[in-house]
Amino acid sequence: MKPVEVIGIDVSYGAKKVLEAISLNAERGEILGIIGPNGAGKTTLIKAMSRIVAPEGGEIRLNDRSLDSLSFREMAQQIAVVPQGTSISFDYSVRDIVMMGRHPYIGRLSSGTARDLEICEGAMRLANVAHLADSSVNEISGGERQRVLIARALAQEPKILLLDEATSNLDISHRIEILNIIKGLTDAVTVVSVFHDLNLAAYYCDRLIMLKERRVFAVGEPADVLTREAIHEVYGIDVLVKTHPLTGKPYILPVYGHAPGHQPQGGVHVICGGGTGSDLLYALHREGFRVSAGVLNLMDTDYTTATELGIPCISEAPFAAISAGARADLRQHIGSARAVIVTAMPIGPGNIENIRILEDYRDKPIIFLCGGGSRAFQDHTGGEAGAIIRRLLDRGAVRVERVEEVLRILRAAD
Amino acid sequence: MRRTASLTVLALVGILLASMVCSITIGPASMSLSSLFALPNAWTIFWEVRLPRVIAVVLVGCALAVAGTAMQGLFRNSMADPYIIGTSSGGALGATLSIVFFAGIGRPIFAFIGATAATFTVYTIARQGGKVPVETLLLSGVALSMLLSAFLSFLMYTAGRSLHQIMFWLMGGFWNVSWDDVIIAILIPVGCLVIYFYARDINIISLGEEDAIHLGVNVERLKQLLLFVSAFLAGIAVSIAGAIGFIGLITPHVMRLIVGPDHRILLPAAALAGGILLLWSDTLARTFAGDMPVGIITACFGAPFFMYLLRSRMRA
Repeated sequence: MKPVEVIGIDVSYGAKKVLEAISLNAERGEILGIIGPNGAGKTTLIKAMSRIVAPEGGEIRLNDRSLDSLSFREMAQQIAVVPQGTSISFDYSVRDIVMMGRHPYIGRLSSGTARDLEICEGAMRLANVAHLADSSVNEISGGERQRVLIARALAQEPKILLLDEATSNLDISHRIEILNIIKGLTDAVTVVSVFHDLNLAAYYCDRLIMLKERRVFAVGEPADVLTREAIHEVYGIDVLVKTHPLTGKPYILPVYGHAPGHQPQGGVHVICGGGTGSDLLYALHREGFRVSAGVLNLMDTDYTTATELGIPCISEAPFAAISAGARADLRQHIGSARAVIVTAMPIGPGNIENIRILEDYRDKPIIFLCGGGSRAFQDHTGGEAGAIIRRLLDRGAVRVERVEEVLRILRAAD
Repeated sequence: MRRTASLTVLALVGILLASMVCSITIGPASMSLSSLFALPNAWTIFWEVRLPRVIAVVLVGCALAVAGTAMQGLFRNSMADPYIIGTSSGGALGATLSIVFFAGIGRPIFAFIGATAATFTVYTIARQGGKVPVETLLLSGVALSMLLSAFLSFLMYTAGRSLHQIMFWLMGGFWNVSWDDVIIAILIPVGCLVIYFYARDINIISLGEEDAIHLGVNVERLKQLLLFVSAFLAGIAVSIAGAIGFIGLITPHVMRLIVGPDHRILLPAAALAGGILLLWSDTLARTFAGDMPVGIITACFGAPFFMYLLRSRMRA
């Protein structure tokens, strides 16, 4: 017996199909996230599950009973919905609004028992609005009003809680506060929630359902659903999927899109390391340059960046010196590049070969990117690295401070 | 808040009773209560003229106020009222149809049918994707009102009725009231009671239809019921006194400011205040203005109030 089972529902608004063959189920006590781009049908799915819209085909079952067989009262005792926000026309007090959550339990001629009041006070404490009980709902802030709606839903003592982007109008602190409250409820309540923010979805949800154009695209644990490929396919954007260092959950970083316009000619090779080249690699990639990087150690931050951006990268095992094979690759990349850029990495015996090799290319434009001030090009080679750099600069290599200057030089040469 | 609200309702009961006594003694032939039993003429005026009139006025005031309160809650805006959204003119047209074609037989039934038809027509026209925006509600109500009033005037005029009678149905008045009307008006408390049973549901639907469904309200059934009973109340009121405007607009609004938006308190408070307001309007009309249509007086203070509401709504 599942708390919520949606079996192959179709929903249309007039002639327009909004959901097609949607099936899902929520397990007891889990948070199930619904994600997908605008217009994919997320909100409609919540509306179908709370009987605001009627599906044409398929069935929705709550604890093994068909949704249609329940009266509105019975449904409201099982399911509570927290909407995106409600504009309330009249000046009800917070307590009045939360008490409305008891409506499905109170008879027509009664106005509620002491127990109803108690549950209502408890719900207000849980949603942290007890201190606002006597304020008018129109005098409190948007975040507080949203918490009032959560308290109202809790007063319904639901077995299933549906949230339709219940936090998307709030600032980040209120979002986290409210989602933490909701996560704390899952001993007793099954939660199905629409999320716009993929990172919040990844952290708070046990499972995700990703919708694409009216249909289910993927279902599963956040790490399985939120892949770079799936997000590219569904949202049409390029992202990096990392692991959040503290939570261990997937963390999505958008790659803010390629600049439109012409494709720059020729390749650029970047010699970097220790994270000094990441922003340059990203900028070059974004601008559409054909970029290569290396030689880098496999553990290097710049190596991770390069591989995530899909930039070809010559690599060496951690802490190993540059081998003959890598050196040959490096020569090949430098040979075919129209320019070489060296970022302000620390230089030691392990990577000095990277710049030593540059002395062999007399006509190749070389740019030193020195951002990082006095810590740029820390020399751990007893002066050899410094001497090489000085010789290269004397021979006409350019020294710049910022990534933008590198891009300007490369564009000017186009 | 609850306490002050209950005290306000009690105070309104007192004011209403005092106003009724007061109104009975005021009139073109002024009389004191003690003279009632001394002069045979005074007794006739009291029993045949003033008492049925005062009772009918109070009940009609209650009906309009309760219908207005229910409509405002249902449409989630404080500018709805049976007169503005066309219910009253539908009722008036129904009543004149019965007068012109059936010699006035079944007048309240015709008024009720007219009021219901007009209400559901406006509601259907104004509804857009499950919502009833204020602007379309008011505009379609005004447009339908004008059309129905034109029909009414045309019917009465071609049937050779006097302009005075046309004015009665368009503006409302109580100069024809008799005990027969009071007997019909007994249906008004019944309708008010039905609406009062749904006071908590009105509270909830005033948050929005989707929220109401989530909270266990059968919204479609409730809407039909409220519109139907509101049209019933307005239809009875119109069949007794013609289309009187603005009582259903002002009283819920003012009472909401005093007792708050909870319909369990608001409905009785508005009902009482509607009775008081219409009673004093009618007393004014018959005493100082040669029994002119009472709708002229209610429009004189109601229409500016309506404009003020529009203005403050636009500012918000």
